[in-house]
Amino acid sequence: MSNSSEPVDAVVDSPTNGGIQPGKYYGRSIPYLPINGYPGKLIAVEGTDSVGRTTQIQLLREWLEVKGYGVVETGWTRSPLMQPTIELAKSSNTLNKLTFVLLYATDFADRLEKEIIPALKAGFVVLTDRYIYTALARAGVRGVDRAWLRNLYGFAIAPHLVFYLKVDVDTLIGRVLGSRGMDFWESGMDLKHGDDIYDSFRAYQQKLLREYTSMADEFHFRTLDARRSINKIQDELRRQVQAFLEPSP
Amino acid sequence: MTFSLLHATDFADRLLYNIIPPLKAGMIVLADRYAYTAFARDATRGVDRQWVRELYSFAVRPDVTLYFRVPIDVSLDRLMARRVKLKFYEAGMDMGWSANPVESFRLFQGKVLDEYDRLVEEFGLNVVSAVGSITEQQRVVRDLVARHIRTTHVVESTETPDEQLV
Repeated sequence: MSNSSEPVDAVVDSPTNGGIQPGKYYGRSIPYLPINGYPGKLIAVEGTDSVGRTTQIQLLREWLEVKGYGVVETGWTRSPLMQPTIELAKSSNTLNKLTFVLLYATDFADRLEKEIIPALKAGFVVLTDRYIYTALARAGVRGVDRAWLRNLYGFAIAPHLVFYLKVDVDTLIGRVLGSRGMDFWESGMDLKHGDDIYDSFRAYQQKLLREYTSMADEFHFRTLDARRSINKIQDELRRQVQAFLEPSP
Repeated sequence: MTFSLLHATDFADRLLYNIIPPLKAGMIVLADRYAYTAFARDATRGVDRQWVRELYSFAVRPDVTLYFRVPIDVSLDRLMARRVKLKFYEAGMDMGWSANPVESFRLFQGKVLDEYDRLVEEFGLNVVSAVGSITEQQRVVRDLVARHIRTTHVVESTETPDEQLV
């Protein structure tokens, strides 16, 4: 219901024009939380299910702590405020794509204000397991308006580094079946591609991968091939994180 | 932000289940508070005004919006007459402006009223003075609403006492 006569100056800060500044808000800020000059660093690890994000973050955390950095971890839908509500809503059949998006955004806002921003202020390295790109990809696949989504998440802080662990859909299927199997939401069954969970999973994950690829340039992803071994990926992550945190003169 | 987004989530759910279906069926939907409440309240809490407006851009724009305006003292009197204690968020106690609930209410709701005044102009809200009696207000309301709906019987226009109030 925005009024067209109101000047829309958000365009200047829009992430789509490449004007992203790491450590600053992507778009319209949270006016009561100025974050300029905070010493902490925000590092996001993105990727679809079963690409090994959590393992990589765990290893990265140990390595950083041994090097003497204070590390804080945060993950998608992990806010104490919203997690029970999100689980409850997912278990019923009343979720609409819009309420789904807004629940995720509420969870994110809570973690941003209560975990991420205080940690950045205190000089921590914040490792985030998934970030707003997960929400953008999932909602994008479900046909939610892209401009609206980007405005919604305008209050997010642009990470200093975004690592995107990329796999192809066949590798992904193998890994998911080899571990815990396919679940309703990961298979996008709510999109009603059909009753077959395998076909639905494949179609849904393929669309998600396409969404991620289309965001790679927009949000300055550093894409890593997640089909390699855990150690190879970790070495690459450490190399890039070190180059960022401790640039050689 | 969390406060704002939680309300938006609740609103989206009601919009999709309780507002849009009856509208499609050609019914009249009466909404007790709407997105404007969020615009006023969230802006008072320091959320970016334009961001909230864009957040709610999925909302259906009402055909008629009535804004019942009262001075802060009147609303305080009415609340105190019915209840012993002001609600925490209603009084804006989360802002930490005053430890005294009444004082906090005065400060917080005063700012909320300022935000509503902006909205009146921006979105063309119909202001109804809520100081008068219920009967007086209802007469104004019926007159305003009657202009927007076709009823099966002829609506007799009154002597338009609302002109001064609007």
